[in-house]
Amino acid sequence: MEILALENLTFSYPQSTRRVLDTVSFSIKEGEFCVMCGATGSGKSTLLRLCKPSLAPTGQLDGQILFKGTPLDRLSSRDAAMKIGFVCQQPDQQIVCDKVWHELAFGLENLGLPQKEIALRVAEMASYLGIEPWYDKPVSALSGGQKQLLCLASVMVMHPDVLILDEPTSQLDPIAAAEFIHTLKKLNRDFSLTVLIAEHRLEELVPICDRLIVLEKGGLLGSDAPLSLMPSIAQRPQLLASMPSAVRIACALGQKRYPLSVRQGREMLAELPAPRVRALPEQTALHGQSKALQLTDVHFRYARELPDVLSSLSLSLYEGETLCMLGGNGSGKSTLLAVAAGIFKPYAGKIEVLGKKIGQYKGQALYDQCLSLLPQDVQTVFLCNTVHEELADAKVDHSALPFDLSHLLNTHPYDLSGGEQQLVALAKALATKPRVLLMDEPTKGLDAEKKAQLIEILRALKADGVSILIVTHDVEFAALCADRCVLLFRGQAVSDALPRAFFAENNFYTTAARRLSRGFLDNAVTTQDVSALYGKEGTP
Amino acid sequence: MRALDQYNPITIAVYYLAVAGIAMLCMHPVLLFLSLCGALALCLMRRDLRTRTHANFAAFFALSVLINPLFSHNGATVLLVINNAPITAEALFFGATSGLAVLAVLYWFASFSAIMKSDKLLYLFGKLSPRLSMILSMALRYVSLFAEQAKRIKQAQIALGLYKEDNIIDRVRGGLRIFSVLISWALENGIVTAGSMAARGYGAGRRSHFSIFWFSWRDALVLCLTLLLGAGTLIPYALGTVTFTFYPTLHLHSAGALSYLCYLSYGALVALPILIETEDTVKWKYLRSKI
Repeated sequence: MEILALENLTFSYPQSTRRVLDTVSFSIKEGEFCVMCGATGSGKSTLLRLCKPSLAPTGQLDGQILFKGTPLDRLSSRDAAMKIGFVCQQPDQQIVCDKVWHELAFGLENLGLPQKEIALRVAEMASYLGIEPWYDKPVSALSGGQKQLLCLASVMVMHPDVLILDEPTSQLDPIAAAEFIHTLKKLNRDFSLTVLIAEHRLEELVPICDRLIVLEKGGLLGSDAPLSLMPSIAQRPQLLASMPSAVRIACALGQKRYPLSVRQGREMLAELPAPRVRALPEQTALHGQSKALQLTDVHFRYARELPDVLSSLSLSLYEGETLCMLGGNGSGKSTLLAVAAGIFKPYAGKIEVLGKKIGQYKGQALYDQCLSLLPQDVQTVFLCNTVHEELADAKVDHSALPFDLSHLLNTHPYDLSGGEQQLVALAKALATKPRVLLMDEPTKGLDAEKKAQLIEILRALKADGVSILIVTHDVEFAALCADRCVLLFRGQAVSDALPRAFFAENNFYTTAARRLSRGFLDNAVTTQDVSALYGKEGTP
Repeated sequence: MRALDQYNPITIAVYYLAVAGIAMLCMHPVLLFLSLCGALALCLMRRDLRTRTHANFAAFFALSVLINPLFSHNGATVLLVINNAPITAEALFFGATSGLAVLAVLYWFASFSAIMKSDKLLYLFGKLSPRLSMILSMALRYVSLFAEQAKRIKQAQIALGLYKEDNIIDRVRGGLRIFSVLISWALENGIVTAGSMAARGYGAGRRSHFSIFWFSWRDALVLCLTLLLGAGTLIPYALGTVTFTFYPTLHLHSAGALSYLCYLSYGALVALPILIETEDTVKWKYLRSKI
């Protein structure tokens, strides 16, 4: 049965002639797991919001949306709230109440259900989704992943028929994101819940979805099983870049099949003739000997009675290198950056920036042409009403920037896409002409295209002699841009190697391309590595 | 088996109102002494206060004992004369009794605030007005959210070299900038919150009120006991059977059975939470020994 059907949907925002959506028609069957993809600005968010009456943007709307055969505007507001669940990007802003249990009950209170029924539904959902251990905690004590799970649970208690999610994992680290997606799949499988999700990160989603809905500049490119759509996606490099590694490798090798998961990718490699060369040449360290940043036996904790976050940590960042620091949640990565940037003082240990002890930098000297930290939440960087004022405020020299921001100057920083916000924040961080740049999760919420642009920018900065320390969860990104990788575990740097060796050695904490080519190739860690080695076969 | 903080907030609130209210109303050394013993024992038992708070409370008590005789020179028993002003034993004792009253009330309030966490208070307000309780819950959430965001903005600006704290003007200017950006952040994100509320049916009809507290027979028991013992203390007191006069000489009037009822009732009322806590601990120890 069709649960949601869009018929010739055309939409434009007020005072604009541009059609954000142009005659889009497709339908979703009950119990389907649907993934919507498309570049930033292709109309994904608008389409999803139009499917939820209380969030529908105002503007010129033609065509109609049917929910179980009823046009959406004829649905009562109570039914619309109950039957169509909606979860969006920012977990912090979606949460209304200060306690977890109260947040779970919020929607049911709004429906006026009796206390007893609320108690039952909330208890059921909390135990199904594993919320029980933190049921009576204040919301502010939760991690990002827990907060997003709470948002999901507080929608699920209303027993919706269809769940719509707008980039729910973009603010989460990859591990929390994978867990979240796993939970969605479980809900879909166990309750035949219809899921419609828009996302940038498709590595895990595409292999498990029943239907892929591809939007391109407001129009529908296709809505079908992922395999049937792959031939047309393969024609479009921008769309292909966001697909799983297995498909990208297959396309780069000119294969006519489309493996979606790592397993299918391995099956494909097993059938191909083995490449003549199994290993790429080992990388050699390219940095000089002088150190841009040196941490020696640093210990740090947030309060006297709390445990150490950093314990006996030693780390060097050489001049002109890009160092990626990886590690799980709570391993102290962000804390390390704040300590290195002089925001927190370690209780023991020594920090030297450009050969000088951090304490010897007086006043603003440390942040003037020396060191700069780009925080994880780039919204904390913005202080003004337009990008233009923002750049003027920090005295940014446009001509010195390795990227162009001129088309964004009159926009409010909050109205930019995630990738654009990252670039403007980076411009502010570069204003003081730092020689050491610290970046916290720069790829969070970025689509494949913006990620590629960021890698280009980092290369340009490196060429200018900037030493960069990046803290990230994103293994694919680290494999592409790092000169050296370090794994942080329990407050200590445990493994330190060149990226190819680092990701080739790791079994679990490694890229999809490496997991796919393990056993066939020795040290291929990116999709480019894999296709380069297999490609050599074709060109003797 | 329930510890004190697991009782229904209404029970807890009524109890503290009764026990602290009597301590505030009755200027009677025996009752106040009982009150202080109970409150202190409860605080020590639950380890609600830090040593430093105890020390502050004690200093406060000492101050009120010493100050009264300096200003009040009533009383028949002169202990010593300073600058032609007599210091009397009665004035000293009056100071001690009023110090006792303040001390007892302080300890009751300290224990009350340690037990009545925000969700219990919200439950009480929710009984008065569900809408008020909803607004308070959101306010509590936003206070912590804003404080966190303000801290993060400040750190981000410091590390970008855009925030100075060298002198007072810089500091004020920096603070104002952070405040103004926090406002626009709040407005921007308020839209998301409003959307999230609407998406879950806020305003779609009459709301009901959910809470994780329930009212059991134990709550009824404790509530009844509180009211009975409170009445048992206040009625004899109101009838004037237990009075204490400080001036000109200290004199304790006790008129037979009714006055004993008053002391006993208040003693029992004060001991009630200690009994509950002890029962809980003992039972738990016993049950644990069987594991």
